[in-house]
Amino acid sequence: MSAQDHDRVADDRAGPGWAAVVMAVAAKDLRIEFRTRARTLTMAGFVVMVGLLFFFSVDRALVRPQDIASGLTWITLILAGLIGVGRTFEIEKADGAMTGLLLTPAPRDAIYLGKVLANFILVYAIVLLTTAVFGLFFQLDYSNHPGALLLLLAAGTLGFVALATLFGALTAETTLGESLLPILLFPLLVPMVIYGAAASSRLLLGRPLSEVEGQVRMLAAFALLAVSVGAVLFGQIVEE
Amino acid sequence: MNASSTRSSHDGGLGLHALRRRFGAHVALRDVAATLPAGAITAVFGPNGAGKSTLLKLLAGSLQPTDGSISWKGATLDTRSAEWRARIGVLSHDTHLYAPLSARECLSFHARMHGLRSPDLDAALDRVDLLDRAEDRVAGFSRGMRQRLALARTLLHDPDVVLLDEPFTGLDAHAAQLLEEVLRTLRDGQRTVVLVTHALSEGLALADHVLMLVRGAVVLDTPSERLEADTFAERYHALVDAAEIARATTTGAPS
Repeated sequence: MSAQDHDRVADDRAGPGWAAVVMAVAAKDLRIEFRTRARTLTMAGFVVMVGLLFFFSVDRALVRPQDIASGLTWITLILAGLIGVGRTFEIEKADGAMTGLLLTPAPRDAIYLGKVLANFILVYAIVLLTTAVFGLFFQLDYSNHPGALLLLLAAGTLGFVALATLFGALTAETTLGESLLPILLFPLLVPMVIYGAAASSRLLLGRPLSEVEGQVRMLAAFALLAVSVGAVLFGQIVEE
Repeated sequence: MNASSTRSSHDGGLGLHALRRRFGAHVALRDVAATLPAGAITAVFGPNGAGKSTLLKLLAGSLQPTDGSISWKGATLDTRSAEWRARIGVLSHDTHLYAPLSARECLSFHARMHGLRSPDLDAALDRVDLLDRAEDRVAGFSRGMRQRLALARTLLHDPDVVLLDEPFTGLDAHAAQLLEEVLRTLRDGQRTVVLVTHALSEGLALADHVLMLVRGAVVLDTPSERLEADTFAERYHALVDAAEIARATTTGAPS
């Protein structure tokens, strides 16, 4: 490379833009997932299996599907999400890719948010699949408040993904790895599950929106808090 | 930043000031003090466990020193700063590549992490003889091809300081020759290169300066022109033996 080339490349260095890093990390993670389908297929398989199991095990003469659908949806979200998000740093560990990423000047919070965005898209797609599968198996009626239900599940998914991505980064460097993730994560998810399950249960039963307003706000606040804390702490966790 | 004002050679370089690094009870580096000249290639030699890779990780900011500091052209360095990370390129045992992505996608991602507006990916791939495999996924690459692609990634953002950790390990003859050719192009007086290697003859042939570590301490710090290529291996082993004997005498530990 000549000295002129040197100067040209040096001038070309604008420093990584924050939003550009978020989008690049998310696009990279989604592209890898699209090619390997390692996480999506496992999560989707789990959702269909849960749907099938409950379809054959629940006696609908004794139990109304809409009474258990909410809890079942949130449990499936968390367990399927754990399968998916727990592996988010596997590809980064292979061949030291995460180390390489951290050797760049890319802002750490932008790297974290890029991974959260990719995980959100993947897990939310699985949540939509869950509602479709359960709707099909249990003939659930989503027509009362479809928009509110989707928004509620989106807030819950975001809160879950924000924490799971943060703790995934932490546990990826330990020998216990994936088995440590639920131990750290579950206690922190309790408030989210309580507010989310209670609100979605009421929505499925066709109760007025005003009844769930407070719970939806709490869930949204939880999600924003989880994202903010994750963005601040991620750099501390991944650096020595 | 004015590129020319920051790239003049012989105005300091990388200063290591009483650099010490512990891992629990083990001391990997013991008060290492040296200057790695700017605009030159410094080869860092030493047996296994000498602290060579630890030194490189400290320079890259992957590790922080337990004591001491690092300076760049006279100014104390924060190796964790984005400014420093924009200036360095690191090639290590791990290639830092994503196997499911293509060679071009790997470079493009790296360019975006460095904020390069219009990176010449074709030229970067051509430089390491991988242009015809640009769209192939890294998963299908041999170890040598991955290492060449990793070298292209290391140099893509035109770093001022290039840190190389055992770049010849696991390479076939063709890949090793190509790597050596690319490294020779870095001897342009504008880049500071730190080359950690066990390969004595290849390292000495490329180096302007030699630093040798044994058990975390500097035992040789000299311009390479003062070293005889024919007898360097002999001297290297004599220095390792002398350092081991000195340590055994001081600590009572077996060498």
